[in-house]
Amino acid sequence: MSDPAPNTEPDKAASSGIPVGGETSPLVIMELIQRLKIRDVMTRNLVTLTREDTMRRAQELMRIGHFNGVPIAENGRLYGIVSIDDIIRALIGGYIDDTCAKHMSTHLIVLEDDMPISFALRYFENYKYGRFPVLSRDRALVGIVSQRDINRVLLYELTAEINRLERQITRPPEDGIGDDLYMLREYPVVRHDFENAGKAANEIKRLLRERNVDTRVTRRIAVAAYELEINICIHSHGGTLAMIVSKGVAEIVAKDTGPGIEDVEWACQDGTSTANDWIRSLGFGAGMGLANSKRVSDHFEIKSALDKGTTIRCKFDLRGPAPQQEPSP
Amino acid sequence: MTINDVAKVLNGKVLFKEEGRDRHVGAVVASDLMSDVLLVDADDMLLLTSLASDQALRTAQIVGAMGVVVHNDKPLPATMQDVARRLGISLVTAPYAKYESCVRIHAAIERDKRGETL
Repeated sequence: MSDPAPNTEPDKAASSGIPVGGETSPLVIMELIQRLKIRDVMTRNLVTLTREDTMRRAQELMRIGHFNGVPIAENGRLYGIVSIDDIIRALIGGYIDDTCAKHMSTHLIVLEDDMPISFALRYFENYKYGRFPVLSRDRALVGIVSQRDINRVLLYELTAEINRLERQITRPPEDGIGDDLYMLREYPVVRHDFENAGKAANEIKRLLRERNVDTRVTRRIAVAAYELEINICIHSHGGTLAMIVSKGVAEIVAKDTGPGIEDVEWACQDGTSTANDWIRSLGFGAGMGLANSKRVSDHFEIKSALDKGTTIRCKFDLRGPAPQQEPSP
Repeated sequence: MTINDVAKVLNGKVLFKEEGRDRHVGAVVASDLMSDVLLVDADDMLLLTSLASDQALRTAQIVGAMGVVVHNDKPLPATMQDVARRLGISLVTAPYAKYESCVRIHAAIERDKRGETL
């Protein structure tokens, strides 16, 4: 490989500065850009000219094919490249009918076909060209690679990888309970969306029933989920309700984006509520939500900060005894 | 006492009946505050409520209720029957106020215990 030729104009479309393959890139992407080789993404159908072809011929090819450079090669050996800027200079200088050999760039940046595409990404970032010729191990010209070639294949591979990961996350668990049961569900909860409030809790109960979780435990989990979901709907700016089941423990996590609770201890007491009359007319706002959730949980944790939001976690042992529930007044 | 019996006792109308075997009333809860309903730990609850909204049904599903009765022949939202069907919760409307309904249901349960006709 040689240093960039000073008279070669960089392609302005090159290098968006997207930080792919850096230290903070996900492992999936790192693996992809190492596994995929340049030969997996490059264009193989090359249009080339010989050293004796004219600059005018090169100009015509670029116009018809809509590309910015033509490799000059003979018998598979790469001699140079004529770029669009070489053409413009030839037109201005009046030597458009000269041979390509006289005006082609000979100091070239090339890539090898068995290099990982991580190399190509680095080259696009460092050298600001739109494409690079690709040589085989024995220095034959075998293709050309552009940023668009890489994007196209990366997108395809990433889609397949994300589909695979999504299937893993939502895979149906084994029948029965115990350490084999694994579930992860997350539901959005919209502020004041009373038409849909409670749907997530209903769904959670249905899922647990279908997997033969103990009916008493299911009921407690469903009560906590429902109370927390309604709380997000009534009192917050909106948030999410999640259920995670793993290793014999179910966790309900209610997270909202604000406004936060000023006095958490007060809010957790029976009968305390900030709901207005309109909310109460809908059947809510009794002030039992947090207290009920705490009462039915094996472990209850609440964290809140004003203007930041609230996160509540309720844990349930799928195998353990129920906590003592106080009868209704 | 099944949901059909409840509708008969209250001169009400069954808008949706849960499919499958007929469940019998195990406990009766009359409330318009859903959090109060969630406090009650009883199987096969019959919920009597003035709350004519999908939330009454969602709460009923959470606690495993065998049915919901809405009082005063309140007009129900268009979605409520559909939600009852999707959640599998029997739904009845009745003309009486809540207190009257409670008294009638209680009397019917007592007759049932004595082996008398409802």
